[in-house]
Amino acid sequence: METVLLPPSTDQWIDAAESLSTIQVANLVASSFKKIAPFWPLKNLIAVNPLQGFEELPIEDALPLGRAYFQQPTLPKPMEAVNRQTLKWLSAYVDDGQATLPMPLRHLGLYAAWRQLAIHDADLHGHDPQKKRFLTNLPEHPAQALCVCLPELDIASGEEELFLTLMLTTLPGWASYIRYRTDWAGLDTHHPHPITQTEYMALRVVITRLLWPEARTLLSWHQQALEKAKSSTNYLTPLQQAERQFRLPLLMQLAAQSLSEKGLPDAQLVFCIDVRSEPFRRALEATGNYQTLGFAGFFGLPIQINDTVTGESYASCPVLLTPSHTVHESPCGTPTEQKQAQRGYARLTALKRLYQSLKYTFTTPFALVEGLGVASGAWMGVRSLAPGLAARLQGQFVRSLRKPMPISSSWETLPWEDQCRYAEGALRTMGLTEQFAPLVVFCGHGSSTQNNAYATALDCGACGGRHGGGNARVLAGILNDKQVRQALQQRGISIPDTTQFMAAEHNTTTDDVTLFGDDNAEQVQQLRSDLAKARQINSLERLQQFSSPLRKLDEVQQTWLRSTDWAQVRPEWGLARNAAFIVGPRALTASLNLEGRCFLHSYEPTQDPQGTTLTTILTAPMVVAQWINTQYLFSTLDNVAYGGGSKLTQTVVGKIGIMQGNGSDLMTGLPLQSVYATDEQAYHEPQRLMTVVYAPRTRLTAIVQAQPVLQKLFGNGWVQLACLDPEDGQTYLLTRDFQWQNVH
Amino acid sequence: MVLFVLGSLFHLDRLSIIMMALVSFIGLCVGSFAFRYMKGDGQYRAFFVRLILLIGSVMMLVSADHLALLLVSWCISNGLLVRLMVHKPGWKAARASGWLATKNFAWGAACIAAAFGLIYLTTAETSIQALLRRSSLSPSMELALGLLALGAITQSAIWPFHRWLISSLNSPTPVSAIMHAGLINGGGFLLVRFAPLYMQSSFLLALLTVLGFLTAWLGTFWKLMQPDVKRMLACSTMGQMGFMVVQCGLGLFPAAVAHLVGHGLFKAYLFLSSGSAAQEKRIDQGYPPGFPAFSGALLCGLIGSAGFALASGKAWLPGDTTLVLNVVALLSGTQLALPLLQVRPLRALPGAILCTALAGLAYGGSVRLITGFMAPMGLMHPQPLTSLPIAGILILTVSWLSMLFFRQSVKTWSIPVWAMKGYVLALNASQPAPTTITTHRNHYHYH
Repeated sequence: METVLLPPSTDQWIDAAESLSTIQVANLVASSFKKIAPFWPLKNLIAVNPLQGFEELPIEDALPLGRAYFQQPTLPKPMEAVNRQTLKWLSAYVDDGQATLPMPLRHLGLYAAWRQLAIHDADLHGHDPQKKRFLTNLPEHPAQALCVCLPELDIASGEEELFLTLMLTTLPGWASYIRYRTDWAGLDTHHPHPITQTEYMALRVVITRLLWPEARTLLSWHQQALEKAKSSTNYLTPLQQAERQFRLPLLMQLAAQSLSEKGLPDAQLVFCIDVRSEPFRRALEATGNYQTLGFAGFFGLPIQINDTVTGESYASCPVLLTPSHTVHESPCGTPTEQKQAQRGYARLTALKRLYQSLKYTFTTPFALVEGLGVASGAWMGVRSLAPGLAARLQGQFVRSLRKPMPISSSWETLPWEDQCRYAEGALRTMGLTEQFAPLVVFCGHGSSTQNNAYATALDCGACGGRHGGGNARVLAGILNDKQVRQALQQRGISIPDTTQFMAAEHNTTTDDVTLFGDDNAEQVQQLRSDLAKARQINSLERLQQFSSPLRKLDEVQQTWLRSTDWAQVRPEWGLARNAAFIVGPRALTASLNLEGRCFLHSYEPTQDPQGTTLTTILTAPMVVAQWINTQYLFSTLDNVAYGGGSKLTQTVVGKIGIMQGNGSDLMTGLPLQSVYATDEQAYHEPQRLMTVVYAPRTRLTAIVQAQPVLQKLFGNGWVQLACLDPEDGQTYLLTRDFQWQNVH
Repeated sequence: MVLFVLGSLFHLDRLSIIMMALVSFIGLCVGSFAFRYMKGDGQYRAFFVRLILLIGSVMMLVSADHLALLLVSWCISNGLLVRLMVHKPGWKAARASGWLATKNFAWGAACIAAAFGLIYLTTAETSIQALLRRSSLSPSMELALGLLALGAITQSAIWPFHRWLISSLNSPTPVSAIMHAGLINGGGFLLVRFAPLYMQSSFLLALLTVLGFLTAWLGTFWKLMQPDVKRMLACSTMGQMGFMVVQCGLGLFPAAVAHLVGHGLFKAYLFLSSGSAAQEKRIDQGYPPGFPAFSGALLCGLIGSAGFALASGKAWLPGDTTLVLNVVALLSGTQLALPLLQVRPLRALPGAILCTALAGLAYGGSVRLITGFMAPMGLMHPQPLTSLPIAGILILTVSWLSMLFFRQSVKTWSIPVWAMKGYVLALNASQPAPTTITTHRNHYHYH
């Protein structure tokens, strides 16, 4: 076979590159990418502030910049052609398994692969011999290509960074995916199709150089946009109105609570801080003598979970952390049962392989559609007209091929020191170091929806956009270990022998809670029935948030139906309407109906005199809550620029993201249906996060002084900090210049 | 009197019954899907009004006997379809898609109108059924049929009239579903409706076969290289329409109807479920297969195609154009058996044979369901096996083989220049029309 080799870069390139070194260019590219927020792919959607690159600025300055960079209603016409070619090539390159015949040469990297193919692209060179030569002689290194193109585009020194930034912000969604792949990729770091920021920038700039040599105009276009954006001032007004109506009443209610000690509960249940936990916790507490706690849903375990049956691996911790351990999950039971599980999975896979083998090739699809046409028509009918029945049938079919089995995880393989450390850390952070109930349940969460490209956006953000049951299982396993308990005792946490830890998973779409393990002690049975009651209570509350209650079905059935319906675009409201992050004991909020608008993190100020726990809470879970809050906020404010647009016309591209219609920018952010009840009427109420901490002011002051990230968020107005000071019983707000202001 | 007039305008035969059943079933499914899917949409009511009108006008179209009625309902249906496609007129790219489709449909309608005009001038006949009873084809009639075929292939997105289809994905998902199961088949319907006349023109049949094969090949190739799910489905539809036209060109009109029905149901389902594309994991097929597996699979394929021939009531090795269908069955049977035989070919062989035999029977049976129902219409007229269908068979087979044996090597090895050129050419050819792409994020509108 004949291979294509390009001539080595000629002297001509080096001459041209004199004014700008490749290292300088690489730095410029890196700093231009700082303006772009990352976009996690569909397999684990993580909420993120689309203006993350502007958080260093006061929000009053960031919002106009956001308008100038991301919300421009139009684009210079020739830039549209550049975008068309960029997204054509980029979607082909980043494809993670949609195309059967993918773009060739991808193992070489984006720029190297594209450089060899672009020579043949008439849409780029338009059969112009000069342009063809230009493409053929492109330097081997992307940074060199930039060194060549920038002067040719007449970009003066000092203007390069802004120009490169505009190259990104004029197609912001795709740039966000590159940002993810280059700075936040986690387990995707070693992707078989590598990509760097300079490579993408080179592709973008070379295309611009070919299709719009006068692209310098972008600079003046942006200047105008900037001036216009800065001249209007009322960006914050709508937010502030909503905040005024929400914040003060909440603080007043919280301040009015008396923190009376209750006796020992029958069981303690630890839920994720997710706002969806609050209504369920409230419902459960109403059914019996239960104490509930809030804690980040990964339960403090920086782990990667590996499914031994499917071979899948994923990081099950916040994206801010890198997993330090791998935990293997496998079906428990005898070796024969394990083999059964393997075989069940193999059967399912074989069936899918059979189907795919006929579908993704030449000629045989013609027979496939005729052979399966009637059957798929019938199935379409059942799913559309009787989604509940379809779900039951499908469940039965899958179960008949692959029997569901309880899962055990290999938490024992974690180093013993770490086991103790994580156990102690988790208990101390949630403030559960004494008064253990006979039953303590760690409850992770996940969602269940059908036909939903955004499925993982509803899963546990603390677990990196996955289901959190696995982490709960590990922590429960560790804490049931006798030796660990002995070690904990030495560190001052004494867990009674009668206390048993269990793991569970809360399905946030149906409110079904699965308790792991086959324990059938009386207290567990009681808990099961109370969980069922809580499900019913919360289902009713949930239905009232949807506009159209259904016929005669009961509320549990109706919520279940939503989760199984393939035509349902609003299976649950997710974290919509989130508004506050409350750090304190449950007694502070237990008697309040917070309407699922608050992240609740348990905290006992008396157990944390040094403030180390509080530091962790404010710099990790609270930061994640702020990401979520700003994503909902901006997706609501401008669902086109910052959100995903309507689900009606979306298409899944490369299995990684969403485009609109025939092709568009990668639509980052939440879809219209996640934040709007109708095209016109928002369901989410855009407002910034208020963090309420039940702790002495002095402690908070010290923490804020020591943590730049908190100074950034509080000082720039992205988050409002409030303090319920247990020492003087007063409520304070932290002003933007870090003064405590008493609230009356 | 009124009844008499109405009766003379319509003619309800087995073809219309099949089409009506298909359209109303798809309409029901898509309607109940959209009932939840489109909740909260500003155009909710208008959407359903248009949907119901569309189904009504398609009913009229498939049961029309008067040429003018057929033409009028054809135009109304396409007009309504375009209106459904441009769901949110505030979105520039959606308007451009609609405009592109309008231009295409207008061409098609003009061709059909010219054809009908010519037919009327030549025969003074307005009833289709009366026309079909004519036995000889005058040159002007043949010209009219050519124009009609042109109208048909614009509707069914046959190359070179495919652009509107791969640019049509600015439509809401339910609209795509009903379109790919409904009006896109209009071309096939038209050809089958006038089948007795087409069967008298071997030239037109050959032309249809050529264009059909070309479209089938291009559509499948493009489908395989698309990174986004809806465009993949659209290109796939294009390929399937090509195959449907091939079947018409081969004189196998009832088989074309069977294909149209099967594809419509299948594709509507795939569109409605396209939201789960990200969750679908591609399973490595382990190509190229080893010799034992491949030869075993070939054996299974032979048995499968025998099952197909048996169930569909045809000869296994016919000397006419039905051979094309049997070859497709043979390739599909082989493809089906391959994954079954991949690991332990010999041990799995009996099972694989049983599987492919059953699949062949089921496949033949489902085709028989339609062709058998249509049998009284007498539209199955296999043509003699000329070099044209044989060339088609060869292309289909070679393309299929190369997917099995060369794809993997292309993935890992350096590739020849012609392959790179081919890739870029196909990538560009399968792009939607430039104006229908949302080149600037904020050009998108959901209002």
